[in-house]
Amino acid sequence: MQRRTVLMGIAAALVAPAIVRAQGSDELRIGAPLPLTGPLAPEGQKQKRGYDLWVKEVESAGGFEIGGRRVPVRIIYSDYQSATPRAVQACDQLVTQQRVHALFSPFGSGAAKASSSIAERYRVPMIAPTASSREVYDQGFKYLFGTFTPNETLTEPLADMIMAAAPAIKRVAIFSRNDLLPLALSAEMKKSAVKRGLQVVFDEKFAIGSLDFASALTQMRSADPEWVFVGGYVNDLVQVRTQMRDLGLKPQVLTMIAGPAYEEFTQALHRAAENISSAAWWHPAVRYEGVDIFGKTENFVQKFLATYSALPDYIEASAAAAGAILQLAARKSGSLEGPALRDALASLDAMTFYGPISFGPTGQIEKLVPPVFQIQEGRPIVLAPTSIAQGDFRLGIT
Amino acid sequence: MTSRGRLAIAIAVIGGLACAGLPLILAGEPYLMRLVTMFSLLLVLAASWNIVGGFTGYPSFATGAFFGLGAYVAAILQAKGVDWRLALVAAGLAGGILAAPVGYGVLRLRGHYFAVASLMLGTILKELTTGWSDLTGGGMGLTIAGAGGDPEVLASFALRVSLALAVLTVLLGAAIKWSRLGFGLDCIRMNETAAAGIGVDAQRLKTYAFILSSIPSAVAGAVYAGWIGYIDPTDVYDVMWSVKPIVAVLLGGVGTILGPVVGAAIFVALEEIVWRNVLSFSAGGLGVLIVLLLLVLPAGVLPSLVSRKTRS
Repeated sequence: MQRRTVLMGIAAALVAPAIVRAQGSDELRIGAPLPLTGPLAPEGQKQKRGYDLWVKEVESAGGFEIGGRRVPVRIIYSDYQSATPRAVQACDQLVTQQRVHALFSPFGSGAAKASSSIAERYRVPMIAPTASSREVYDQGFKYLFGTFTPNETLTEPLADMIMAAAPAIKRVAIFSRNDLLPLALSAEMKKSAVKRGLQVVFDEKFAIGSLDFASALTQMRSADPEWVFVGGYVNDLVQVRTQMRDLGLKPQVLTMIAGPAYEEFTQALHRAAENISSAAWWHPAVRYEGVDIFGKTENFVQKFLATYSALPDYIEASAAAAGAILQLAARKSGSLEGPALRDALASLDAMTFYGPISFGPTGQIEKLVPPVFQIQEGRPIVLAPTSIAQGDFRLGIT
Repeated sequence: MTSRGRLAIAIAVIGGLACAGLPLILAGEPYLMRLVTMFSLLLVLAASWNIVGGFTGYPSFATGAFFGLGAYVAAILQAKGVDWRLALVAAGLAGGILAAPVGYGVLRLRGHYFAVASLMLGTILKELTTGWSDLTGGGMGLTIAGAGGDPEVLASFALRVSLALAVLTVLLGAAIKWSRLGFGLDCIRMNETAAAGIGVDAQRLKTYAFILSSIPSAVAGAVYAGWIGYIDPTDVYDVMWSVKPIVAVLLGGVGTILGPVVGAAIFVALEEIVWRNVLSFSAGGLGVLIVLLLLVLPAGVLPSLVSRKTRS
């Protein structure tokens, strides 16, 4: 009997979701697959914080304005467990079963690329807040829009600035985490260096999850680089920096992406973080006057700080910007229909707290200039673009 | 006709009908198509694990290793312009070629020792794939040429290929179970020392079983790569590709021919339900449900039903 009860229960559970498929029609539904569990969980949480802040802001404004009235916004989250196939499946489910009006893409270039075909197929606009690789956007898709510029827009201004500050530099070392974004950035850094006649004396990768970098760094030291570039995430970069100091590896210039953009980085390294240069798609120090729901960048930073007691980084800002952008497009289209929303996104040209928003023919953001910055006196100081520069480049590390 | 012959013909006919009919029936339901494709791929892995884990009694955790290898072999070949059919064949061959020496060596271990050794294969391949970035793209992953076309065409194509592969794998399992090889594997499972005593060449038969099980797993990886269109080492060498098929077989019935079919269906259904209803504890929720099911139906769904029928 007991066994039968359990089986009946399971059968009921099987049927339940098929029956409960009721949806309010008078609301804006956005599908957001996120890696809430698994190795990408920290990044997934960041993305979620950005979305949640935006929803909160829309709610306090009385709803999402569309065609002269205000409707509530609902973001439907789905945990794809850091697995790409599940991300694609989640997009499919959100569009065909939950009937979402728009999608915010899964994290990173790989998953965004794999799931963009779903958006294209069903003509649902997809905004990718964390995909920078050109390969994501060159598929000829019309419904995919991204808020990160291509990777070389980070490395080129960095290289320009460093060459201007230290023209005598000849030898570069590149060290990168064997992972999608850091590898792509390192490849671009190498191109930028070679283009300027620099000699790449060391070019190695480290495995995801490495903690001991001593042997690679010893090798690097014997190559005697004047400029060291390291690609990785906060935890990697803090370890690499600490071990560089232990080994007495002291290049004139040390550049790291994408850790120094996070507050945790300076908190962990204190003095050792001094003069480390970096670049990111966005930084809380930038100053824009947007026409979007957040308006000024300061306003966004303040609200984020009040809600989460931490400074926003570029992932969180980009995620919140995805919502703000959708809002601007909907204001223009006056409709939540996929094709109308898509056309409004494609022709959008507006300033936001995140920066200038306009999408090129491939759907990737065009006019945004990623800031170059350097940690000085424990704080990130923006050095480029000159319009928002707060200081000058400093040579040498402690 | 014997009952075995009838079962084999039934599998072939039903499978053939499903391959031909399902893509048409599900034409307007891309999401269901995706679920059935997922089910088929899991069934391939479950049925092939059953050859080693069920028939032979060696708890292999290497399924994911062959899956990942197949995905990479097919993706790299397709990037070099090789036809997808040839790429699938090459993936299967690569799986078999790797399985032969590995199986010959590792199958000398038994029980837990074998399980741990087989688990390492996936880790090693993952490291090699990540490190050899000139060929595999390393952590940047690989995009499969030809993917990214009309998703509906791709979905129906992937469904057909994976379903056909699943039917073939179930038939392969039946063929092995009913052959001399299957009899030998039975003996090995029951008592390997005694089997060797009556002249069963255990080492050779075990290796055959391991090779035969690795081939469909590798082809499944190749199908997966073409279907999803983007692979990277963490995705395709995920240990879950080794664990899920084992759970599916345990749910359905270990060592039976249709157990993997039933188990894979239950697994995909449970996974879908839990995943939809529980946001951040879905993996945990699924685990609890599976433990409950195994407690209620310890031998798996299929044997439990059969034994109830014979009792009443």
